[in-house]
Amino acid sequence: MIAFEPTEDQRLMQDAVAEFAKQTLLPRTRELEHARGVPEDIRRTAHEMGLGLVTAPEAAGGQGQGLVTAVLIEEEIGAADAAAAFGLAGPGAFGRAVMEIGGPERAAELLSGFADEGGWDRFGAVAWSEASPCRTHEGFATKAERTEEGYRITGKKAFVGNAALADRFLVFAQVEPERGWGGIGAFVVRRENPGLRVGERHKTLGLDAASFGEVVLEGAVVREADRLMGDGGEEGFTRAALRFFVKHALVVAARAVGLARYAFELAREHCDTRVAFGKPIGHFQAVAFTLADRAMDVETSRWLVWKAAAAWDAGLSERDAFLATARAAAHAFEATMRTADDCVQLFGGSGFIRDLVAEKLMRDAKQLMLTAPTAEQLDQLASVIELGQRLDPALVLPTPDTQAIFT
Amino acid sequence: MIEFALSKKQHELREALQSLGRHVIRPMSLDMDRNKEVPESFLRNFMMMSRGVRSDDISEFQEGVSRKERDPSKPSEANRTAVIAAEELAWADAAIPLSMPGPGLGAPPVRATGTPEQKKRFLGMFRDMDTGPLKWGAYGLTEPGAGSDVAGIRTSCRKDGSHWVLNGRKCYITNGGRAVWTVIFATVDPTLGRAGHRAFVVEKGTPGFEVGKIEDKMGLRANETAELVLEDCRVPEENLLGGEEAYRSKEGFMTAMKTFDNTRPLVAAMAVGIGRAAYEYARDFVKQHYVLGRPIPRYAAIADKLAKIGRRLEAARLLVHRATYLADMNIPNAKEASMSKAAAGQAATLACIDAIEVCGAHGTLSSEHALLEKWFRDIKVYDIFEGTGNIQRVVISKRIVSNLKSF
Repeated sequence: MIAFEPTEDQRLMQDAVAEFAKQTLLPRTRELEHARGVPEDIRRTAHEMGLGLVTAPEAAGGQGQGLVTAVLIEEEIGAADAAAAFGLAGPGAFGRAVMEIGGPERAAELLSGFADEGGWDRFGAVAWSEASPCRTHEGFATKAERTEEGYRITGKKAFVGNAALADRFLVFAQVEPERGWGGIGAFVVRRENPGLRVGERHKTLGLDAASFGEVVLEGAVVREADRLMGDGGEEGFTRAALRFFVKHALVVAARAVGLARYAFELAREHCDTRVAFGKPIGHFQAVAFTLADRAMDVETSRWLVWKAAAAWDAGLSERDAFLATARAAAHAFEATMRTADDCVQLFGGSGFIRDLVAEKLMRDAKQLMLTAPTAEQLDQLASVIELGQRLDPALVLPTPDTQAIFT
Repeated sequence: MIEFALSKKQHELREALQSLGRHVIRPMSLDMDRNKEVPESFLRNFMMMSRGVRSDDISEFQEGVSRKERDPSKPSEANRTAVIAAEELAWADAAIPLSMPGPGLGAPPVRATGTPEQKKRFLGMFRDMDTGPLKWGAYGLTEPGAGSDVAGIRTSCRKDGSHWVLNGRKCYITNGGRAVWTVIFATVDPTLGRAGHRAFVVEKGTPGFEVGKIEDKMGLRANETAELVLEDCRVPEENLLGGEEAYRSKEGFMTAMKTFDNTRPLVAAMAVGIGRAAYEYARDFVKQHYVLGRPIPRYAAIADKLAKIGRRLEAARLLVHRATYLADMNIPNAKEASMSKAAAGQAATLACIDAIEVCGAHGTLSSEHALLEKWFRDIKVYDIFEGTGNIQRVVISKRIVSNLKSF
């Protein structure tokens, strides 16, 4: 039966995170931005709450919760500071990637330490996007050459979330260039690996408190066991990678819903109080209708995200879950951008000044929707599914250079 | 729980209606459009058939007669189920749900404001249709000079002994020509605005109550839309809904508005049904003519259009679910009901427009894509009747912006 009612447990978690977000994140959002990071005291609090480990497997010290719970929590964080969601420490995108591509057991091993003392300083990272495009074949410029014990990885990755902070990376590389997308692989590389070097940190338009940067692989040696195989074979690897990308998109979309909600409430409150031409500006139809349209944007984004999360939790077919997620995230990203944009607009000149948070929300919205598969990519995935096409990696996976994403 | 799966009963209902739609209704669709009529034999069969399939909840909803007095503290499934049925029937042919015998759009005001005697009298008239003639009810509010501006109606009513004398003209009344009775809204004094409105049940055959023009429309041609003329029409005082006491408090003239909270999501669901029909048609067309026949990059822009149509329709559908969920939980839902109507009217219209576009000029030829051409003509009114998109935004605005009484 169709229902929009979080369970009692979900409500408790939602309330706790909302409280944390309101008390701890919201008042310090510009501080985080200027510090270009999340201060340790906030990360410790988040760690104590087990925030980063809600969906991690119990074997890794997580709560093993589903995606519905995850999106409820992520919205609350996003409603205070979407950048903070990336920098609270914890498995993050790395955790999601190894769960899908390595499986729950392997993930439990690879996520060791996040639940322990000092977990507030531990980050993982996913290196997918390339610093320079590969012009000679499909797939990655970064290559993984076979050796006796395993592989040697060489190349330069960009747009890596938490590159400067992570102690463990999942690096995607080309194993067999002649096989294009059929010859790619995913490798766990530790920070201590002599062949891995953290490169430049990116200066981004938004999400300043989140750290994105380059990772340079210079003959990094890994063992066969460090290679994660997905569901096996080319198709199995593509499906597993795709599961990671869409679930990642869904989590980011939930943060976007939070950001949209924040921007909407800010705009609405302003339209109630700002007086012009003798009345609150919200009493002018064009302004009110803009708010009405954005209110619909926030609502539809949330329900689409909930529906997609519920599809995964309910174990619906991958086809149905992929489609629901592609639609949810594409819509939420665009809706959030509209909402943040209109929020600045409704503030007029003051919206453009950094004294107000509106301009930050707009920059964050744009950045946020590029940290996951893009709306265009997601629409493409949706149409591949609806048109009954094969899940061709060339169509459904973000291309490592032209569709670079901040994983 | 947060859940989007249908209950077993709802699932069966949807399957049954889809089958009926595909095998019985669609084959009749073009003839109905051409002949401007839904065959009586179909309506009789459907009425009988649906008695077995419908739950008590739906019967109560459709026929406007409570089998048991609904306990307001108990959640129902009626609204959530009704919109599932509405979407499927409209997917098949939107004229069908609008042409169903029964009190139809006249039921909500009778249920909301009628005395127990009036409810029994007026709603009870539809009990003998199995053996007797088919009957309809209708709702007469709109006038040539007052559509969105409900307060501006000019049909007058004046007490004269034990009767009321009505004078005026109503237009665009669904089933108005054949209705056994129509709820007519008249005013005791136009200067009072809404406070002057009174709702009367005017029975067919009452002297001074005539059917005027039957309209020739862009779409929904198989459904009757009529003009009604009242010239010194004498209506017994027993037919004033709720009696004079109902209008001493504000209750009486809120009748017209309150009922929209149930009917708007229903109309929105129908719009989603038509939009979905067009989307699926275009999707299958693209699959047939482009995916199977041409290289992939050739139609990226078209696939992209389809993806956007798909997700906009899904977003609208979820707003319908949300509005009906609240209604079932007896939670006020005026804002959500209006959101669902605004979003669905727009999404479905765009869907039909883009679906034709995707099929090219051939899409405009009724000889080639007759149903698609018909759906484009059918859908437009869905952003207009039952409250235009802009009126929905007025309703939403009043619930978002503080102290907004009017623009």
